[in-house]
Amino acid sequence: MPHLGETLAARRRSKQSSLLVYMMAGSVPEERFLSTVDALKTAGVTGLELGFPFSDPMAEGPVIQQAATDALRQGFHWPDLLRLLSACSQRLPCAVMTYLNPVLQRGEARAFEEMHGAGGSALILPDLPVEAAGPFRALRRKEKVDTVLLASPATTPDRLSLLVRRTEGFLYLVSRYGTTGAGEGTTPSTQGKEGDLGPLIARAHELRPDLPVLVGFGVRSREDVERHRTSGADGVIVGSAVQTRLSAGRSPEEIGAFVASLLG
Amino acid sequence: MPEWYGSFGGAYVPETLVPALKALEEAWRTARRDPAFKAELARLSREWGGRPTPLYFAENLTREIGGAQIYLKREDLVHGGAHKFNNALGQALLAKRLGKTRLIAETGAGQHGVATAMVGAKLALRTEVYMGSVDMERQKPNVLRMRLLGATVRPVDHGAKTLKEAINEAFRDWITNVQTTYYLIGSAVGPHPFPSIVSDFQSVIGKEILRQSKQAWGGHPDLVVACVGGGSNAIGTFQPMLRTPVKLLGVEAGGSGSSLAVGSASLTKGRPGVLQGMRTYLLQDAEGQVLETESIAAGLDYAGVGPEHAFLKESGRVEYTSVTDREALDAFHRLCRAEGILPALEPSHALAEAMRRARDLPKTARIVVTLSGRGDKDLEVVAQHAPPG
Repeated sequence: MPHLGETLAARRRSKQSSLLVYMMAGSVPEERFLSTVDALKTAGVTGLELGFPFSDPMAEGPVIQQAATDALRQGFHWPDLLRLLSACSQRLPCAVMTYLNPVLQRGEARAFEEMHGAGGSALILPDLPVEAAGPFRALRRKEKVDTVLLASPATTPDRLSLLVRRTEGFLYLVSRYGTTGAGEGTTPSTQGKEGDLGPLIARAHELRPDLPVLVGFGVRSREDVERHRTSGADGVIVGSAVQTRLSAGRSPEEIGAFVASLLG
Repeated sequence: MPEWYGSFGGAYVPETLVPALKALEEAWRTARRDPAFKAELARLSREWGGRPTPLYFAENLTREIGGAQIYLKREDLVHGGAHKFNNALGQALLAKRLGKTRLIAETGAGQHGVATAMVGAKLALRTEVYMGSVDMERQKPNVLRMRLLGATVRPVDHGAKTLKEAINEAFRDWITNVQTTYYLIGSAVGPHPFPSIVSDFQSVIGKEILRQSKQAWGGHPDLVVACVGGGSNAIGTFQPMLRTPVKLLGVEAGGSGSSLAVGSASLTKGRPGVLQGMRTYLLQDAEGQVLETESIAAGLDYAGVGPEHAFLKESGRVEYTSVTDREALDAFHRLCRAEGILPALEPSHALAEAMRRARDLPKTARIVVTLSGRGDKDLEVVAQHAPPG
C-alpha cells in the first residue's frame, strides 16, 4: 500500500479532500474489524488510523476510552497490533495512534522497525510534545514512518510554526478544546469550544505549502466535514463516531454507509 | 525552576495544555518574587491555616521502642487536617493571579479535595473535585466535608476507580475548560511546572523542621522519614534538607504484602515510563500498560510517583522502602495509644518504618517523622481490620 503521508500530499496537490478513520485495534474480533476496513475502503476512505490501547488515555473521550478498556480486557498485545496492521495496510495506507509509554517500553527503534515491517507509515502520539519528538523524527530516515504532530486552537503562532516545520506526513489539527468524541462525556462541558481553525490552517499552508492539514476530534456529520473543508483543511479524521458504531455491533455495511454519507 | 530532575520530569501533554502550562510557569516565576504574594501566602498560612505546626517529641512512644528519639512534625494540625493545605492555598492564589474562575482537583484520600474545597470557598472560586468511586466509599467523611464546603464531587467510575483515574479525568476536564479553569493538582506529580510548584509550596514543612530542630536541640535530625504516594509531603520535607547531612527515607505502600502484589510501591517495584505528563517510575506491565495498585491508604494508592523522587532514588540521596498494610495499621494503633494522636493511614506507613529504624539506633539519635495528616477519615477502614492483640 502507498505511504500515508505521500498519499495525503498527492491528494492535496490534486485538490482532493481526504478522510481518515480511526478505530481501536482489538476492540472487536479481527474478522469483523477487517470486514469493516474493506467497507471503509469501498466507501472512499483515504487511510486508517489504528488505535493501540493504553491504560490511561488522557486525551480520549468515553467512546475511545471504553474501546481501549475492551481491547485490553481481551488481552490485545503489541504483536496482535502488528498482525492487524499487516492485514489493514494491504487495504489502506495506515498510521498507528497510541500514547507514548507503550512505544517507549517497546523501545522506539524496535517499534518503528516493527511498524514499518507491518506496512505502517505514520505514528501519532497525542502526549508527545514537539520538544520530545527528536528521537522519533530521527528514526524516519531509516524506517520511513512519519511522526505526526498535533496542533490545537490553543496553539500560539510561534508554536504553530515550530509544529508545522517539525511534523511529518501531515499536521493533525485538533478542532477544539476537549477530548475525542462529540460531547457524550462525563466532564461538565466535554463539548469544548471549537476554535476558529481557518487562520491556523492558512498560516500552516503559508509556512509549508505542501503540508496536508487534517482536522480531527468531534467530527461526526456531513456538516462538520463541510465546515472544516470550507476553513481550508485538506481533510478530516473521524474516530469516535465510527468507533461508537463499531463497538455497538453495527455491520461493516452500515459503517461504510455512514462514512460514505460524511463524504457526500 | 527545573523541568527535569535528571532524566525524570518533562511535560508530556496534549498540545492544548502547552500554553496553559507555560502561562502557569510564568505566573509562578513572577509570584515567587513578588513580596505582596509572599506576604499574602504567609498571612493566610498563619492566621487561617495555623502554621507553623509543632515539632513534637513523642516521649511515650520513644520510651516504648527504647531506641532513637522520635519526633513528629505535626502536619495533622494544619487547617483541614493535612499538609495538603500548604499546596492548595499557594496554587489557589496563583489561580487568582491567572484570572481563572474555576478550580478543579483530583483527590485520593480526600484530603486534597477538602483542602481545595476550603481554598475555593475562601477565595470565591467554583470548585469541582474528581474522586474515584472506590475512594469515595472508603473516605466518606471527606466526601461530606467537600460538599459542606461548597465543592462538587464528581465520581470517577473507570479502571480501579482510585487516584490515577481521578487524575486522568481531571486532565480531560482541564483540556476541555482550560481557558477558564485552573487544575489544582494535589501532589508533586504531573507535567512541568506542577512538580516544582507543589514542591516549593510544601517545602515549608522541611524549612520548619530545620528551624525547630535547631531551636530544640541545636542541630539537625539524624534521620527524617516521610510517606510517599505521589510524594508531596515527602518532597516538601526533604527538599530543604538535600544539602544537609540528614539521612532521608521515603516509605511507600507495600499493600497486602503478598509476594504477587506490587502494592503501590512505584519506586521500589516499578521502572521508568511516561504517565500523566511526566517521566518517572511506574508500576506497569511489559508493554507499558499501567497496573492497578492496592493499598489500605487511599492517599498512597497510585502507580506513579513525583519525578523528583525518581531522581533522588537514582542519585541515591534518598533511600526508599515500603511497608505493608498490616505494619501501617499496627503503627496507627500504637500512636493512638502511646501519644493520644490519631494519625492518617498514609503517615502510619512512615511511622512504622521509623519505629523499626529507631530500635537499631542509639538513644542519642533523633528521628523526625512527617505526620502528614490526621486519621479521622480512616476510622471506618481501621474498624474493618482487627486491632493488634
